[in-house]
Order: sequence, then structure tokens, then C-alpha cells
Amino acid sequence: MLHKCLLAALVVAAELVLMIGTAAAFDDSKYPDWSGQWRRPSGVGTQWDQTKRSGLAQQAPLIPEYQARLEASIADQARGGQGDDARVSCITAGMPRIMTGTRPFELVVLPAVTYVYGEGNMPRRIYTDGRSFPADEEPTYMGYSIGRWFDEDGDGKYDVLEVETRNFKGPRTYEFSGILLHDDNASVVKERFFLDKANSDLLRIEITSIDHALTRPWTVVKTFRRERNILWAEYDCAESNNHVVVGKEYYFLSGDGYLMPTRRDQPPPDPRYFKAAK
Amino acid sequence: MLHRNSIAGLALAGALLMTMAAAQAFDETKYPDWSGQWRKPQGIGNQWDQTKPPGRAQQAPLTAEYQAIFEASLADQSAGGQGADIRITCVSTGMPRMMTAVRPFEFVITPKVTYINSENNQPRRIYTDGRGFPKDDEATWSGYSIGKWLDTDNDGHFDTFEVETRNFKGPRVYEASGIPLHSDNGSIVHERIALDKQNKDLLRYEITTIDHALTRPWTVLKTFRRERKVLWSEDQCSENNNHVVVGKEFYFLSGDGYLMPTRKDQPPPDIRYFRTGR
Repeated sequence: MLHKCLLAALVVAAELVLMIGTAAAFDDSKYPDWSGQWRRPSGVGTQWDQTKRSGLAQQAPLIPEYQARLEASIADQARGGQGDDARVSCITAGMPRIMTGTRPFELVVLPAVTYVYGEGNMPRRIYTDGRSFPADEEPTYMGYSIGRWFDEDGDGKYDVLEVETRNFKGPRTYEFSGILLHDDNASVVKERFFLDKANSDLLRIEITSIDHALTRPWTVVKTFRRERNILWAEYDCAESNNHVVVGKEYYFLSGDGYLMPTRRDQPPPDPRYFKAAK
Repeated sequence: MLHRNSIAGLALAGALLMTMAAAQAFDETKYPDWSGQWRKPQGIGNQWDQTKPPGRAQQAPLTAEYQAIFEASLADQSAGGQGADIRITCVSTGMPRMMTAVRPFEFVITPKVTYINSENNQPRRIYTDGRGFPKDDEATWSGYSIGKWLDTDNDGHFDTFEVETRNFKGPRVYEASGIPLHSDNGSIVHERIALDKQNKDLLRYEITTIDHALTRPWTVLKTFRRERKVLWSEDQCSENNNHVVVGKEFYFLSGDGYLMPTRKDQPPPDIRYFRTGR
């Protein structure tokens, strides 16, 4: 009888545990706490490798053809042009550049997807449901990201998210100076996300770009600091954008609403399709 | 002894339950299954009230002043202008228009925030953590949204989501015809979202707008259908946008890269700031 009572109590316990197990499909305690808002550390700009200055100082391991294009981009920018940076037209920077974190971002971790919500960008989805890369999906600036969680210290909780991103379109650059990724858009971007061991308010993202414009894979480690007092702004690139693009020419809009040249001796837009110009 | 064994068994059950409860903070089964991609039903355009054609046929309950502004928008559009619709500049449509769902959207439900991710908008955050409206937050196109989950049929699961949104900036319109919201941006938008009782692949989305440009609150009921085979694309408004805005004038970009007028006898842009324009 005694044995039966204990057994009955244990059966009740097991049933309750099973009920809870069924009811709570997402065990979020298995995942790291990456909540809050992630920002670039103070004093760090929007260069690609946070430890170096932008432009040539990045020492991007470019093949000669793409090194020449970078130098041409920098020279054009020195004359007032935009070089190879098309971001003034408000087109997304795409991957990997969106992970510069120009504006703050949030990581929302769910079992099947981790979302990266950057102010000023559409959401980035990192699929962690075991899927493979699709065979026929349309390429995007952001690419298609597949991630995998790891418990590196064996404590029963995930601490590292590894991500691989493919299937891009372009043109894409690493930063505003115009360091280009290859026109073939065959880039593969690998990321490792993890919290700093000593300071859980610092996020490290190791990003390796494998691209035909590079002589070797280019790895940078970015650091972001957690802001727990969160305030999200709405960054709308198209709002108050004073850059005007006509064909391949970039102009600027003056404060009083007129077109202005962006480089010396730049001609105004060709008015051939206006009656008044005929 | 018998009693003590039962107590021991139940204590064990209790301990196990507490461990499970601590480990599983997010009981997603309490929330409705709104997974997948939500789209407008076939044959429905981008009008505000899905049951009526766009423009005057919407029968928006506008005050006399705002009816006149709306009529002027329609007249300008007839003459080739954009009227009160500035979406061609790629600025966010804001609330409530963004819930027209020109492009598909998804819900990402977490205990404290429900996110609405659309293909062509930045994510919308609806806070469900019990907070009040902030007093000094910067106004935005999409506003500040606070939601509350309801279990209207008392089955232990949430089935209805009520949302209130305030703190807007503008100008905002309901649809492409230019039905305006008041320029004081004092709008309040109430949403009530629930699955259809008979068909779990239909979402009923009631939106009530309270606005000083209206003679009474304006309620519309939108329906969205669930797509379970999800494919996300990247809609970049700024990409291949052939609309060019210079000051208050709208132009179009021809296929060969030259500016074109959008209305009869429109002059070309004033080029006073160019050397050749002097």
C-alpha cells in the first residue's frame, strides 16, 4: 500500500511535468540573454574593421582589380562624388555592411529564427530550424542566413550562434569609402555571435567574408555594448534625404529647395524632355 | 507512513514543477498560432476599407476642411501630380496605412513585445509588458503601440489582441488617393486582431481611427489570408525608384536616365546654383 501511494504520487508528478513540457514548447532559458539594445562603443565610427580607420587604412585584402576600384572610389569622393557608396540613395547596405550597426539593433531569439532588428533596416532573419539553403530563391542585399547554436562551455546553455549567409545581390560595399565586394555576388559571410566572457554587456561578432574580390577570407571582430535603458527611434533614410540622383549623376538639394552640384563644374540635369527646353 | 510517502512524492512533484517553471519562462501555447505570412486576399487592392473602391468611394467621414484637402489631392493626381500621397519618396506610410499590407507581413510574438514584420517596412513593435505611453518620446510615423492579449472565450488561451497606438508625426494618409489624417497628428488608432472562428487561415483585423480630421471614429475591418508556405522577398522602395523630387516638384526618370515632366507644361528644375545655369 505504501509503495502504491508513493508510485501514485510520482505518476501525478510525472503527468504534471509532462503537461508543463507540452505546454511550454520554447525553453528560452537554453538561450543566452541577448536582450536590450546593442550599440557601437563610444568613439567607434562606421568603418568596417572597428580597430582601424576607414578607407585604405582598413587594409582590406583586395585583389589588384578591386584595390584599384577602391582607390578610384576614394578619389571620386575626394572630388565630391559618392564613389562606390550608393547608400545616399537609401538602398539598403546589405550584408555584411548592415552589421556595422550604424544605428542600434536588437536581437530577438526564438527557436526557429533569430531576428536582427536594426533601426533603419528591414528585419534580418537567421533561420535556426535546421533548414538548408534554398536552391532557387531570389538573391537579396541581405542574403539568406542559416544559423546554428552551440554550447561551447558545456553548461547546458547555448552561448554561441554561428551563421552562414549566401545568395546575395549587389553592388555591396563594406563601408562608405567604397571597399567593394565582388560583382559576381558569390560572397559567403560567416558570423560568430557571443557575449564577452568577462562582461556580458559586450557582444562580440566575428565576421568573416569570403569573396572573389579578396585574396583571402577577411575576418573582423566587432564589439557592441548593451544599452538596457532602451529607446527606439524611427530612422527613415528617405525622410529629409537631400541627395538627388538623376541617372548616374548625384546632386544635392539646397535648403531653399533647388538642385546644387556636388562636384566642381558638374552640369545640371539634361532637360531634353521638357517643353521649355526645346 | 503512508501519508509521509505521499507528501514526499508530491513534494518531489512540486520541486520538479518549480524547476520546469523556472526553466520555461515563455509559454507560447498561451498565445494564438499566427505563424506564417499574412497577405491581402486576392482581388483586394491597396484601398483603406477593403470593401470599397479607393478615393471618394471610401466615404471617409472627413470634416469639411479635410474633405476639401482630399478633393484637392484627387484633382492634383488627375493633373499628373502626387496629391497628398508622398509614398513615392519612399518615406514610411506610417500608421494606420502600413496595415494595408501592400506587401506580406508576419507576427513575431514574445511575452513583452509583439513585432509586425513587413516586407517593405521597418518592424513595428507592440509592447505587451504593461507599460504606459511614454510622455516625452519622439513622435514617429508608425507611432507608439501598446497591446493587450485577451482570452475572450475563456479557454485558457489568448485569442484576441487589442492595440492602441499614439504619438505620431505626419503628414499621413490612409491610401494612395490621399485621404488625409489631421495635421495635428493627434490620431489614436485602435486595432483588434483575431483569427476567424471558422477559418484559422483568415485573420480579421478591425482598425478604428480617431482623428480630428474625422467627424466620428472610422472603423474598417480588414481580412488577411495566411500563407503557410512562406517565402520572403526584399522590397527596397528606393531601388529602381524612378520618381525624383526636387523641392516641391515631382519628376520622373526616363528609361535612358533623363528627367521627365509628370504634368503638362511642367518646367524643368531651376538650375540657379549651377555655373551653366547662371
